[in-house]
Amino acid sequence: MQKVLEGNHAISWGAKASDVKVIAAYPITPQTQIVELLSEMCTSGELDAKFIKVESEHSAMAAVIGSAAAGVRSFTATSSHGLLLMHEMLHWAVGARLPIVLANVNRAVGPPWNIWTDQNDSLSQRDTGLLQIYCESNQEVFDTTLQAFKVAETVSLPAMLVLDAFFLSHTSEIVDVFGAETGKKYLPPFKPVDFLDPDNPKAFGNLTGPDYYYELRHKIHKDHLRAIDVARRADAEFGKIFGRSYGLVEEYRTEGAETILVTSGTITSTARVVIDERRERGEKLGLLKIRLFRPFPLEDVRRVLTRARKVLVIDRNIGFSIGGIFAQEIRSALWNTRVHVPLFSFIAGIGGRDVTPGVLNEILDIASAVEYPEQETYWIGVKDEELSYTGR
Amino acid sequence: MSSKKRDFRDESEMPLSAVAADDMRWNKTGSWRNIKPFYDPKTSPCIASCPAGENIQGYIELAREQRYEEAARLIWQNNPFPAICGRVCYHPCMDGCARGSLDRSVFIPAIERYLGDYAIEHGLREKRPEKTLDDKVAVIGGGPAGLSCAFFLAKKGFRVTVFEAKPLMGGVLRYGIPEYRLPKTVLDAELKRIEDLGVEFRPDSIVGKDVTLEELGQYSAYFVGIGLQTSRRLGIENENSKGVMAGLEFLEKINTGEPVEVGKCVVVVGGGNTAMDVARSSLRQGAHVTVVYRRTRDEMPAIEDEVHEANEEGVHFRFLSTPVGVIAKNGRITEIRCQEMELGEPDESGRRRPVPKEGAYFNMPADSLLVAIGEKPESKMFEAVCSISSGLIVTDEYGRTSNRKIFAGGDVVSGASTVVNAVARGRGAAEVIAAELSGKQFDPKKTKKVVAIADLNTAYFLQKDRAQMPRSDGARGRRPFAEVNMGLTCEQVQEEMSRCFSCGVCDGCDNCYVFCPDVAISRHDGTYTIDYDYCKGCLICVQECPRGILSTESEGK
Repeated sequence: MQKVLEGNHAISWGAKASDVKVIAAYPITPQTQIVELLSEMCTSGELDAKFIKVESEHSAMAAVIGSAAAGVRSFTATSSHGLLLMHEMLHWAVGARLPIVLANVNRAVGPPWNIWTDQNDSLSQRDTGLLQIYCESNQEVFDTTLQAFKVAETVSLPAMLVLDAFFLSHTSEIVDVFGAETGKKYLPPFKPVDFLDPDNPKAFGNLTGPDYYYELRHKIHKDHLRAIDVARRADAEFGKIFGRSYGLVEEYRTEGAETILVTSGTITSTARVVIDERRERGEKLGLLKIRLFRPFPLEDVRRVLTRARKVLVIDRNIGFSIGGIFAQEIRSALWNTRVHVPLFSFIAGIGGRDVTPGVLNEILDIASAVEYPEQETYWIGVKDEELSYTGR
Repeated sequence: MSSKKRDFRDESEMPLSAVAADDMRWNKTGSWRNIKPFYDPKTSPCIASCPAGENIQGYIELAREQRYEEAARLIWQNNPFPAICGRVCYHPCMDGCARGSLDRSVFIPAIERYLGDYAIEHGLREKRPEKTLDDKVAVIGGGPAGLSCAFFLAKKGFRVTVFEAKPLMGGVLRYGIPEYRLPKTVLDAELKRIEDLGVEFRPDSIVGKDVTLEELGQYSAYFVGIGLQTSRRLGIENENSKGVMAGLEFLEKINTGEPVEVGKCVVVVGGGNTAMDVARSSLRQGAHVTVVYRRTRDEMPAIEDEVHEANEEGVHFRFLSTPVGVIAKNGRITEIRCQEMELGEPDESGRRRPVPKEGAYFNMPADSLLVAIGEKPESKMFEAVCSISSGLIVTDEYGRTSNRKIFAGGDVVSGASTVVNAVARGRGAAEVIAAELSGKQFDPKKTKKVVAIADLNTAYFLQKDRAQMPRSDGARGRRPFAEVNMGLTCEQVQEEMSRCFSCGVCDGCDNCYVFCPDVAISRHDGTYTIDYDYCKGCLICVQECPRGILSTESEGK
């Protein structure tokens, strides 16, 4: 069934197709429509789920931790400061091995207040152990909601799907959706590994000393690594049933490419157009979209990027002093390889600033003019004459 | 994948996350506690603010279950006059009501009135005592204090005779409060309940004339509740002119149906309830009425509702003014000379003292001047037998006078007060008399702690409008003395009672049970117990109890 949906509502439909049983959320711009529609669905009865109103995002995550621990499929959504407030509970959900799915609309962090998109909120959760998937279109958002549950429940870890504020959250596209009955073909009912059972009382999350804590953390690490293949299979299976799949990373026109641009989120769509134009002009350019950020698809990234002579990473985020966060990940992925590929790290679009074809062309121009990056990090478009790399 | 194992040799044997192999009962977390919650039912603030100590929360709870008869009987344990007090009381219970901190206090008198009327409509009678005692007790004064005392003594089996100077019983309830506030049928019905208990009514019996102190002395004890009978005078020029009348005298005429001519233009002096009754009754004679009061509306001692209703009905107010002289023509009042006042420093009552404004005089035309500036007692006849100060009988807080056989209560002890105060004093004296006549030491009941509004968790209550009291056409209607406030319907009363929080009284909401993070609270047959082996003293139960049932005590080491 085709519908015109904004990205937020695509998630709501995705949660409905996943037949979630508990939703707990607190409203925050630009996420609110997700849970608004879900609460309406719960009220009308078209979604048979319990909607728990809470007073903060910390409580929202705490509530779905409770419901997931009780053995039912649980969902929440948030953005920016809401996600940051959840932080402690994210660690808990991971340690308790609860396959909650969380949708995060990427929004810049204050101060100063800013409701527009960038990735620092979700990337600040990098080491919580949360699985992270970055989406490019509203269709991908809908499909990824189901895939996220599939992966999360297979490896008993929570997952976060991420979409850009406004560029996806509030922009309408045609989305092919289906209901829970169809969803079941792909996503069977949730079977918890262990759950709160009044007839069989147990305590969870007990004090665990150095003798075993270490192993429990190691098991999370191993399951993260396992989740790479689980995610690959989950995506392939989705493709087999519904005819749409996305890969963990997506290569776009990388055949024979000497320079490969690395993107995530909606910048990817703009980059596709620019790559097409410059390919027409004979430039050997390609694109690598990173969809799965955690677990990090190291082998996939290495396989593609070690073929290039230059790697350009665009980050809509900043790790202050060290540079873009995706750039750091890719730089470290490329270290233990036999080839050395120069890596250009570009910062663009933070706080929702547009990343236009012009911006991308500027980036490609900078990199084509030199053999090797002249700076560790290029901030593109800063209002400063001295930082105008191309003199425009 | 949980495992009963406690020791693992290989990571693969371990569960995904820490899960107890068994339950956690061995871990007695109660030892961490330094403060202890405990169930401690308390008195609702409405009950604590009722001078008669009516179990308001209790009768509301019964009436919510449509157990109206039991509810009415519960009121009678403290007050034989729910139909009367539901109409005329100044309802301090509503000031105490905790719901005021959420939206507006519960309309308690309307509920009380409903139950009082229910008892009348259903002809409910108080049960006669199982045995009659030998002791005979006399009550002097058939007003609210005396009748309350008689009622509670009779319930205990004493043989009680009430002496009343006037031809009918009721005192201020009959001769003071007008019909539009308290219909005589309601009064008669509640008086009959007392008579039905075996109390002997002796009207037209003036002490010192129809009954002597010697005769009274032959009773085992007697209670004096004669109230205040004489209106104070202004003490101004020409006060004896025709058309100047005492407020009480006017009301008595109105209440006994004696014809009274007030003319077209009436001025009432005073700011108390008598003044309001006089003003509204004059209005019902078709007059234009102005109340002259020496302070402002804020300082008026009258019940707020009465002032509001008087104002609504069209009574005019002239504040910060006081009459200084009557101007008469041929011995009949034509005008009143007034002086303007201003508020000075607070007096001993805490109200700002009115101070005359020099040279600021004005005249008001008047066909009548009705003086309602207070009443004083006529207690001379008891001077020989008990101690009296400024006309008021001196008693301790339980109504004992200087004479072991004589007790007193109501306005003759406290000065101008309220019906409910008189009822409370009458009952208190009955308790003391009963104890002393049976040779026991009087032991006042200890009351439970009162819930503080801060101890409630009003987040659990939704806002809800208070019921609206339907009104008759009022002063300008075809039947001006018809009762103004017409009472709530059964449905309205149920809606109104649903607004009651039941402060301090557990209704089994389960919050403590649900919220306890240590699962230390268990529930059996609607009651809860805390297992102190596991209670860590986090006090979430205390916080989440909507009704303030739980209290805490520290367990310092």
